[in-house]
Amino acid sequence: MAREGESRSFRRKFCKLCLDKVERIDYKDDRRLARFITDRGKIVPRRISGTCARHQSQITEAVKRARILALLPFTTDQYR
Amino acid sequence: MKLYETTIIYDPSLEETRINEEIDKVTQPITAAGGEVLDVQRWGKKKLAYIIRKRRDGTYVHVKHKSPPTLIAEMDRRFRLNESVLRHLSIIAPKDDPRPEVPPGEGGESDAMGTPAPAVVQD
Repeated sequence: MAREGESRSFRRKFCKLCLDKVERIDYKDDRRLARFITDRGKIVPRRISGTCARHQSQITEAVKRARILALLPFTTDQYR
Repeated sequence: MKLYETTIIYDPSLEETRINEEIDKVTQPITAAGGEVLDVQRWGKKKLAYIIRKRRDGTYVHVKHKSPPTLIAEMDRRFRLNESVLRHLSIIAPKDDPRPEVPPGEGGESDAMGTPAPAVVQD
């Protein structure tokens, strides 16, 4: 982020799911959910992704369900 | 009666006929208990995101059904006892679902919702 003295243009974050008018996030839709986890398998926080509260809580629930069904990883550590 | 979605991951070594038997074992108690099986989706063999019981793949079956809540507990108990079930998950289905259902693919297909987000979230 831009600190004092540095010249860096700010761009307001926006909820990409609101932009797409996504009503509900499905836990079966692993490819969509994959955008909201890091390469380590963590859920990307709102402060990074800019997701709105409503969608973030949907993402959280969906990712956790997808993890149970082995559609998404809990972690990638086991392959290292 | 509530609307449920149950997803079951079976051992990938099970043959087609055995899978059919296993599905019958799920659907029969539902109708016997006065419920209703609305949809049975076979997603086929998929790669697991992590190893479960030394298996890297699993055969996915997704069932939509109307069941009495007491049956879910019984189903859960049976899945736990069943050695060919690697994983199972039952959830209360969302009430209205206007979108067409798309089973998760293994990549290569277009975005499941048809509306890709404009930017990729950084890792």
